Amino acid sequence: MAGSPEDGEDLLQEIFLQAHRKLGSFKGDSSLGTWLYRLALNHCLDYVRSRRAKMSKLTDRLDGDASYQPTARRDTPIARLDLERALERLPEGCREAFVLHDVEGFDHKEVGKLLGIAEGTSKSQVFKARAKLRVLLR
Amino acid sequence: MHPDAIVINDYADDVLTPAERADVERHLASCGDCRALADDLREIRRAAGSLEQRDPPVRAWTRIERAIQLDAADRTGGAEREARDDRPGAGGLARFTRSRSIWLGLAAAAVLVLATAVGWRFLPRPQPGGGTANPPAAAMNSDAAQVEAELRQAEAHYEKAIQGLEQIANAEKGALDPQTAATLQKNLSVIDQAISESRAALRAEPTSEPAQMSLIDSFKTKMGLLQDTVALINDMRRGNEAGAARIVSGFKSKG
Repeated sequence: MAGSPEDGEDLLQEIFLQAHRKLGSFKGDSSLGTWLYRLALNHCLDYVRSRRAKMSKLTDRLDGDASYQPTARRDTPIARLDLERALERLPEGCREAFVLHDVEGFDHKEVGKLLGIAEGTSKSQVFKARAKLRVLLR
Repeated sequence: MHPDAIVINDYADDVLTPAERADVERHLASCGDCRALADDLREIRRAAGSLEQRDPPVRAWTRIERAIQLDAADRTGGAEREARDDRPGAGGLARFTRSRSIWLGLAAAAVLVLATAVGWRFLPRPQPGGGTANPPAAAMNSDAAQVEAELRQAEAHYEKAIQGLEQIANAEKGALDPQTAATLQKNLSVIDQAISESRAALRAEPTSEPAQMSLIDSFKTKMGLLQDTVALINDMRRGNEAGAARIVSGFKSKG
């Protein structure tokens, strides 16, 4: 989610610093691993949102329903680098759901819980992301 | 008439009922555009699922350790006041145990999070619809070899994570009362036995899915128990008797 390995490393450091500061607030309601995972995810989401707000990329233009229309068929497998670049251009909402579902392997119920959205919303966001990626990866 | 795109998406995810699936397949047989859409959605999912997990470089952990030390030093004044408030007359010791608890907790959580991420990466994904895949016979041998290789890799990662947790738990085991330590040891022995049995079953039949799942489950159970142990030690150091009692009762119910 960070965008680059260097940014990822900085994020990791910030996450552990934050965990160190907040550990006293850990109530034991969930496992420590879940607590840390959630803290890390929230921190990553905040980072992605603030970066996106600053850069004001052209992703809003990709929000139209036209991207759902069938396009020419791909003949070759998708290259990793192409996919990573295309992922950066997705609107944040569907990108987060897509990364958690298709990359990380969570199911829609878990994605909904992590992002605080309904299971059905996760499903439609993942579809939206795939449809946009299809256009971007043509 | 074309099916709705979300239905084709569900088809690509294999979550349709057999009747719905048959309807879509009838349409795809005669519609190149929709067939291309279904193929592309599957390809995107495949490509996304195969993105590599990147481990942070070793230097990242050194940087984190240094950053936390600096941060803690910056906040020393506040921490001292807090320690005095929490445990009158035991400021130095309280600071030490608090900082030690934090490190134990973070180290255990880091091991667990990394191992969980590894688990997501390596555990076989369930076949949507509850069925099992039926690959062409020609592909089965290479699939079996790949599954075995992935299992070995997953096993190595779990063992590494368990070793890390064991080191943390063993170093602090003296903090546990003898009865709790004995219960823990008994539970660990039962899990180790299950791991041995799963390994034996896998040696006899390397492609047995139940044996593979049983081995991974046993690793996860062992990690959970070790994580609880570290949490218990932390609670005891922090004087959280209710939390410690809750964890101990969990040990007993598992035993």
